[in-house]
Amino acid sequence: MSWLLDIKYAFRLLIKAPKFTALTLVVLIGGLSLSLFTFSFLYAIVYKPLPLPEGDTVYRVFGNHNGHRHANVAYEILQAMQQEDVFSEYGIWQDTSVRLSINDAGKTIPASFVQPNMFSFSRTEPIMGRTINQEDLRTDAEKVVVLSHTVWQNDFNQDPNIVGKNIRINETVTTVIGVMPKNYNFPIVSKLWLPLPQQLQNIQPSSKQQYPIYARLNHNISLKQAEQQLSDAANSIYQLTYKQYDKEEGELSIELASFPIAQTDRDGSIVFTFFNLIALSILILACINVGNLLLARAIERQKEIAIRAALGAPQKRLTLQLMWEGIIITLLGGVLSVLLVGALLSTTDSIIKSALPNNIPFWWNWELDAPTLLMAIVFTLLTIFLASFIPAWRSANQDINATLRDGTRGAQSKKAGKLSRMLVTFQIFLISTLLLMGSVSAFIAYFLLNVDFGVNYDRTYLASFNLQKQEYPTEQQQRNFIQGLLTELEQSPQITNTFSYFFIGQSTLKIQTEKDINTLPKKIKTFSIIGKGDFYRAELLQGRHLSISDNENAQRVVLVSQSMVERYWPDEMVLGKTIDVMLNQQEQTFTIVGVVANLADGSSFYSDKISEDEMHLSGLQFSSSYPRIIYKYHDNEQEAEEYFYQSLFKFNRNLEPNRLEPASYSSDMMKNIAVIVAWITFGSAGFALLLALTGIYGLTANSVVQRTHEIGVRRAVGATDRNIIQLFLKHGSKQLMIGMGAGMMVFSVIAIAFQSFTENMIPPLLYVALITVVVTLLSVIVMLAIYLPTRKAVKLEPSAALRYE
Amino acid sequence: MTALIQLKNISKHFVTDEVETHAVNQINLSITQGEYLALSGPSGCGKSTLLSLLGLLDSPSEGTYHLTGLDASSLNRNERAKIRNEKVGFVFQSFNLISDLTVAENVMLPLTYQKGLSKQTMMDKVNDVLQQVEMSHRTRHFPSQLSGGQQQRVAVARALVNDPAFILADEPTGNLDSKNAEAVMQLLNSLHQKGSTIVMVTHDPRSAECASRQVEMLDGQIIRDSLITQTAAPISAAI
Repeated sequence: MSWLLDIKYAFRLLIKAPKFTALTLVVLIGGLSLSLFTFSFLYAIVYKPLPLPEGDTVYRVFGNHNGHRHANVAYEILQAMQQEDVFSEYGIWQDTSVRLSINDAGKTIPASFVQPNMFSFSRTEPIMGRTINQEDLRTDAEKVVVLSHTVWQNDFNQDPNIVGKNIRINETVTTVIGVMPKNYNFPIVSKLWLPLPQQLQNIQPSSKQQYPIYARLNHNISLKQAEQQLSDAANSIYQLTYKQYDKEEGELSIELASFPIAQTDRDGSIVFTFFNLIALSILILACINVGNLLLARAIERQKEIAIRAALGAPQKRLTLQLMWEGIIITLLGGVLSVLLVGALLSTTDSIIKSALPNNIPFWWNWELDAPTLLMAIVFTLLTIFLASFIPAWRSANQDINATLRDGTRGAQSKKAGKLSRMLVTFQIFLISTLLLMGSVSAFIAYFLLNVDFGVNYDRTYLASFNLQKQEYPTEQQQRNFIQGLLTELEQSPQITNTFSYFFIGQSTLKIQTEKDINTLPKKIKTFSIIGKGDFYRAELLQGRHLSISDNENAQRVVLVSQSMVERYWPDEMVLGKTIDVMLNQQEQTFTIVGVVANLADGSSFYSDKISEDEMHLSGLQFSSSYPRIIYKYHDNEQEAEEYFYQSLFKFNRNLEPNRLEPASYSSDMMKNIAVIVAWITFGSAGFALLLALTGIYGLTANSVVQRTHEIGVRRAVGATDRNIIQLFLKHGSKQLMIGMGAGMMVFSVIAIAFQSFTENMIPPLLYVALITVVVTLLSVIVMLAIYLPTRKAVKLEPSAALRYE
Repeated sequence: MTALIQLKNISKHFVTDEVETHAVNQINLSITQGEYLALSGPSGCGKSTLLSLLGLLDSPSEGTYHLTGLDASSLNRNERAKIRNEKVGFVFQSFNLISDLTVAENVMLPLTYQKGLSKQTMMDKVNDVLQQVEMSHRTRHFPSQLSGGQQQRVAVARALVNDPAFILADEPTGNLDSKNAEAVMQLLNSLHQKGSTIVMVTHDPRSAECASRQVEMLDGQIIRDSLITQTAAPISAAI
């Protein structure tokens, strides 16, 4: 029962000090909420198992070619999967965009071509009708579709008789055969499911395409084993096929990744760890602050504790007694944080889902779930340990005799000030590291927001196609389709410009220059284009555009990038020059007819535009099965999109674009993410800075107060105010130097990672400038935090300082 | 003989919770060079406050204070600090050693606030006074590693290191056992024999008997001021 008395006493103390209680609660709620929200938000994106039965056994399968991800080797992977018994189930799908027409209106919806086993793979039954079966895959089968709950609800008003009804998809009459349950959008964002076309079902050895693969790992095999077995098998097959089917030489390996990890391009764990470490650092800052406040309270009660100890209270009991205040505040803070984080997650979920209704993976659900609650318990316990146990334990370990004899000043051992000094040093270390990292992150965010890709996205749309060999067996037929579609689109009053392009691959330039040939990049990114593309990208700088006359029968012509001219022919006239290029393992001669602006198409967003060279060939001489169409609309996006579909269906009613979206979609997505990350970082950094400022001031002020008696002694023996202030500033400088020194060391390691991540985009001088600003800012803050309480303490008359307890 | 210390109508008032307390009230006191003055009286009579005023640890509310002919009541904070550093040595009841500093560093403390002293000079002075108090074997120890008596001897050494014009001792034996108390009193006696001026606050009449002059206070005023012709026997005899 005695502990009940202790709790009652602790409550009484907290109620008696409402300002203290409110301040500690605010600090704790801030630290706990930030950490918990960061964890929960990122956990839902990166690690949360798919919300499907046995979701933890579901993987995606990737091929890595010579260590590069996303190898176009679907055939080899599927063959290896057939050979090796590592998966209990698997299949392929293809994402697409379809046009759903209802009355006179239409809308573009993300959909997937799927195999019949996909629904049983995901262990989900339709709420109405049936799913796709083998019969539906036949070329002569009736066109069928399975609707998502969202489409059924939003577009068909939850029609209970929807199954069996005909709807128009891509202007083709299609029968609804089923409706899937709410929130089911497997594999990623699908709102409609269509049978996988026949031509995708039998992937040939010559295929250079990549298809997404879903698979369930057998229970008796580990992830590593499966990857190894599949890699060995796939690589053996690849070593046979690459020579035979004109594929790129190299080693093939297989990687398995969960759907969430795969969606983050397999870098999610780095992001998860990085941001959680930052959030945890902020929680530790909050704990130090609260711990310091509780320590100050404990010091005030030191005499009381000494009396209790003298009366026979065991140390455990005393520690627990001192901890109750902290435990109560932390538990209260923990509960309030959970409620706050729950509300924040729910709001975040609503905002993101309404902002990006069609592009959120179906497992991105932000809510208070079991892992979040478990982590809330872990964070609360950590906080109790750091902010409550340590100060209580320290305080209960006092010299009772000294305290009873001389008051609290008698109990100030040599160690007393050390903890405060260490905590201040640690806070300086943390905040200097966080400030530097935050500044660099802000710079990166600013860079990403203003990055120039060499592309003008203004009012442009992008459509990509996969022209199947069965329908478009010859290059001429492919060209006819593209040219025809471009011509048709240009008839629309809403469409001002069009062009088509396709990335052919890396070509090898055979060239002799005065420079050492070995130092020059040998691979050049090569595109084929039809039409004038400079309204969108690669503005013409010299010479002429590629035209309709640059056809199959004409001489081979090329537009080269400015970077290429500067690299190979810096002082020469390049127009009319002929170059030899190895393309598709054939050496061909091209005449340069124009020079165009550089594109930002390096290995990442951070690559310099001149880091890569580009060549643009005529699409009438080099066509492709995977063209991209770009059109620019006048002012009415909806009308232009409608017209695009009408034009497309004039040529082929069965052809769906893989993508139809604003050309800036990926760039905007990246920028939006950069803005969100920047705001989260700024918010967190602002809160961390506030915590650190109050923490450093609080710790320093507390430390000065604890040394008031010492100040009295020093002044009694003749120290002036200036002597005392200088002494404290000198001690503070040591903490500042140690803390910032450690921060610089950690930041140096992080800076190397930043440099590697951004491909040395950040100029080294920026680091120097940031370090100078952060060092100056922190020095001023810390020195002020020492100066102000010290000045206050020296204002006391020495006689009063000597009596101070 | 010229007075070392001359107090005229000195008062010190404290105001706490709107209640004014006259800790020292209209005191006149003159102390000459070489005197050993014991200031006694019951708790709360104002002895320690008077000692603080004498040592310039506090400033009077009223009256004038002349120290070696200089008007100390009109000095600013820094000037008072300089005088404390050069002319006053303090010995406190609770020793008031700084726990983070070693014995030598504690003793050296007053010298570190003087200008122009070399490290060697300071060390020589420190060693000299530590020898006087028989603590030279503990120079590198921290206060927490010493007994109460040893700590007080270190405090006396610190009071002596700047060769002060007078020593102010505030109940120097209050926290000591009889054996250590005697040792400290003997130390003060011997300093007095060598010509030091000592003002010692004590509420214990037996300690006061060691002095050459006894001043007794009550309610902030001096009620008795008497000279003792013979130096008292060692305190152990009195105890």
